This record gives sequence, C-alpha cells and structure tokens, in this order.
Amino acid sequence: MLAVSVRDLGWKYSGRNRFAIEHIDLDIEVNTFVSIVGPNEHGKTTLVSCIKGIIPSSFHGVWRGKVEIFGEDVRTMSAQRLAKEIGFVFADPEAQFTSMTVEEELVFGLENIGLPLGEISGRLEWVSQITMIEDLLDKSPYEISGGQKQRVAIASVLAMKPRILILDEPTSMLDPLGKDFIFEIMTNIKKETDLTVIVVEHNIEEVAPLSDMMVLIYNGGIAKAAPPAEFFENSEFLEEHGILPPQATMFFDRLKRTNNYTGPLPISFEEATQKMEALLPARV
Amino acid sequence: MDNEILIEVRDLMFEYPDGTRALQDIDLDIYSNQFIAFIGQNGSGKTTLAKCLNGLLKPTQGHVKIDDLDTRTKGATKKIVTKVGYVFQNPDHQLFNNTVYKEIAYGPRNIGLKEDEVKVRVEEAAQVCGVEFKLFEEHPFFLTKGLRQRVAIASILAMRPRTIIVDEPTTGQDLRQSIEVMNFLRDLWEKEGHTIIIITHEMPIVAQYSKRTIVLGQGRILMDASTPEVFAEADLLAQTYVKPPQITRLAQAMQRYGFSRNILTVSEMYNAWLEAIARRA
Repeated sequence: MLAVSVRDLGWKYSGRNRFAIEHIDLDIEVNTFVSIVGPNEHGKTTLVSCIKGIIPSSFHGVWRGKVEIFGEDVRTMSAQRLAKEIGFVFADPEAQFTSMTVEEELVFGLENIGLPLGEISGRLEWVSQITMIEDLLDKSPYEISGGQKQRVAIASVLAMKPRILILDEPTSMLDPLGKDFIFEIMTNIKKETDLTVIVVEHNIEEVAPLSDMMVLIYNGGIAKAAPPAEFFENSEFLEEHGILPPQATMFFDRLKRTNNYTGPLPISFEEATQKMEALLPARV
Repeated sequence: MDNEILIEVRDLMFEYPDGTRALQDIDLDIYSNQFIAFIGQNGSGKTTLAKCLNGLLKPTQGHVKIDDLDTRTKGATKKIVTKVGYVFQNPDHQLFNNTVYKEIAYGPRNIGLKEDEVKVRVEEAAQVCGVEFKLFEEHPFFLTKGLRQRVAIASILAMRPRTIIVDEPTTGQDLRQSIEVMNFLRDLWEKEGHTIIIITHEMPIVAQYSKRTIVLGQGRILMDASTPEVFAEADLLAQTYVKPPQITRLAQAMQRYGFSRNILTVSEMYNAWLEAIARRA
C-alpha cells in the first residue's frame, strides 16, 4: 500500500520565474524510511511541503500534478485531516513551544484532541521512552538545550500518532551529541513503529543505514532514487550533484570498480567492517 | 619565516564572572602560516579559547601575548584587531552595515585610516575574498549565505590580520558550499600566508584541510599534534565525544591486517589496501 504517491508534481512560487520543483514522480510504501538528500535551494523542502499539504494551502503559486496520501488527494483533504495523518518536525524546534513544562507541552496537544486520561498517560510514556526524554518532563522547554528541544518537538509530534512523519533537516542546528540523539530516535522509530518516515538530511552517513530508499533532489527534479546499495554506486555522479556517499561505502565502490570486490555496497560502518573481515584474511 | 610565533599562551586559566572555569593549564604557541583546527565537544572550551586569542576575553590567570603584546595591556584591543581577526559562526551576527562597502570599510575606518587608504583596504580584501566590486552598494542581507560569509571574512581581512579565526565555517552549508569556503580558507593560508584557525565539529573537514589539530576537553588541551597523529588516538578523542572520520575508523578496525591508525581519506585507504594485498603476493 502506498503512503504517498506523487505524480508529475510541479510547483512555482508566486513571483518566481521558474518552477521550484517540476515533473516529480515518487511512490512511498507504507512503513518505509525514505531519505531526501541534495544541495540547498534545489527543492527538497518544497517537495516535503507539498506532501504535507502546506503547499498549496499556505502559499501562493502555480501547482501542477497530484499528491495522494493513502490514496486521497491532499488538495481535497482538510487541514485537520492532514495534521492527523502527517506529523512535521522543523529544523528549528523553538518555533513549536507554547507551555510551561515539557510534560504539559506534550499533554496539551493530546487534551486538545479530546483523548481520555488513560490514553494520554499511555502515549506520554511511549513517546518519552522513544525520544529518551523521561528526565526532561518537569523542565521548562526554555531551559533545555537545542538538542533536547528537538527531542521534545519530535515527541510532541509522535504523541499525536500520525501515520506519516516528515523531518525537515532535524539535526542541522544541533551539536554532534544532539545530532546523535536524533539519529538514535530515528532508529527507535524505525524499529518500534510502523510509521512511514520521510527525512530531509545532509548527514548521509547517519541516515543511509536507516533508509529503504534514498532520493536525490537536484535542480527541482529527482536525479536519482534507489535503495542505498544501488543509490551509492557511481560516486562521481553523486559528487557532481552535490552529495557524497559514506566514506566506507565510497571505498567499497572503488574496490568494486577495480575488481577487488563483487556484491552489494555496504551502507553502515558495521556492514563495512564485516565485509572487510570477510575479504581480508584470504587476501592479506 | 616559518617559525615566527604570532600568539603565545602561557598557563592560561579563564573563569567567567559566574565562577565557571572554562579553561585551565593552557600552553600554546600559534606560529605564522599554519592551518589549525580546534576540536572537542560543546562546552570543551574551543570558543572561549578562541576569544582569548583575539583579546575579546582576558585571562583570569596566565597570559596571552600577540606579537609580544599582552592582551590585558590598556588600549591593546585597537592593536589586536589588526593582528587577529575573528569570524562569527553566523555571518548575520557580524554584518550590520547597509552596504557591502561600508561593512568591509567599518574596521579600517574605526582605527582611523584615511578614506583613500580605506578604499585600498576594502578593494584588496574584496578581491581576495571574491566579492565583486559591483556588489559594493548592495545590502549584505540580499546576498546568498556563501557571499555573506565572504563579506564577513573580507571585513576581517581589511584589517590585515595575520591570524584569522573562523568559528564553524561549514555549519548549515551543503557539500559544495562547504568545499567552496574551505578551499578559500586554504588559499588564504597557502597563497596569502595567513594563519588560519577553524573551530569545527566536522571531522572530514579537519582531516582534509587542517595540518595541526588541537583537541579540547573540559577546558584543557587533551592533545596538540599533526592531524593524522590526532585521529590515530580514537580513545582520547572519545573523551571529548569526537569520532574520527568513518574511513579512519574503518582502517583502525582493520589494524591487525596492517592498516595504519591514521588514514584520513578514501584514497589513502585504497592505497593501504593495495599495499596490504601486495605484501601478501
């Protein structure tokens, strides 16, 4: 079943001469993890905004083509329906807070949709565990670090139980420790939920091992879309289009093209070390 | 003059007014024409140290001397700005004039240079930074982030400092933008003879560009050595939550097959592979 179906999608912001994205075709299966990568200003955020329905509802411009969420056209869905189906996390978590404590922040949204108390405390416990914020619940959202805020932002979105989660550069404003937490949360989400996840990221080394599909957006179109092992073949093409494979993957790509290795490219560090262990004893 | 000391730091300790000790036991010589990286987790003291090196913060104990001038000397600041430049992480925290020209001219005017000398400085700095003269009357905020960063660096260069400190030059930039700014900093080091100090969390950038790397953790220098030597010490780096580049870690995991601990790039790893299988043959 498709969570997202994009057909010949184009969008031109009002006042601009050219389309920000054009002729985009993309199918995303339910319960898959998709990474959207590519240089800045090439259309990544525009694409996810169209999937979320923020475009065209909150922007002026010219729309072409079609986006469907679970078979339904986003342009005919109400804002409430879209908000229920799709959770969205921005680069800057600050934008989303309104409450006195982290716990209130999380509970507020759930009370608002009229959930019974038992359900609220169940969800609170679940999202706190997945996003590792148990020890932050009684803190003010304003006295915690940027990385902690981003974890809370993800928790408050998850608590609403959307079927699709979109993260738009969730780590771009965080330090390395903060980034690591977010990638760990993404791993938890992939393992423990049946959410469909779409993440826009520059940290390819971190998201590639989680991804079922990598999509490269370049110059408003899809330059390449494939499962990671296939996506990272031909690193020159990727480099020309402004991204680099993980270093270990690049190394194996080089071994492969010099006939030192056959088989699929390793994507994670662990996979790469295992493949090295398998290759080296016979050769060295 | 390869071994000329530009900045001398001795037994530096720094406490913020609230009593937080941010730096201690810092001994450091910064030489002319070096490319240096400061690395370490947030709160390790990288930025505080950088601010001590340009006199923005004064030592609580010990001393920092720039060209033999103690940064605590009365009136030192005016001289220091011509010797050590500091480029903020976000160029928008630094740019405040309404034209590119005024922005770059601000420093030279502030130290009382005559307008014809100011013009020479502005044009020279703009040229080195690739800021076209036709942009001089533009408002900096309408430029791309990459260009705003160049304007920020030009405004520092116009003071002709020999040392330039750049705080997180590649944060929030994509691959191409990162390569562009780093190649530019490398040119300032290689062709113009500046000493460049970058503060960064991006280890592949350190591996590729920095020659000397200083590791900070809990306000102390944990290590100060050549970049390959630093990345060879994965355990020490872990103390300050720094991971060597992925390819370095792969080589380290394969040490028992003869791979060295300080491989920094994919090409080096490939050559090490060729050597390893040649040894076998």
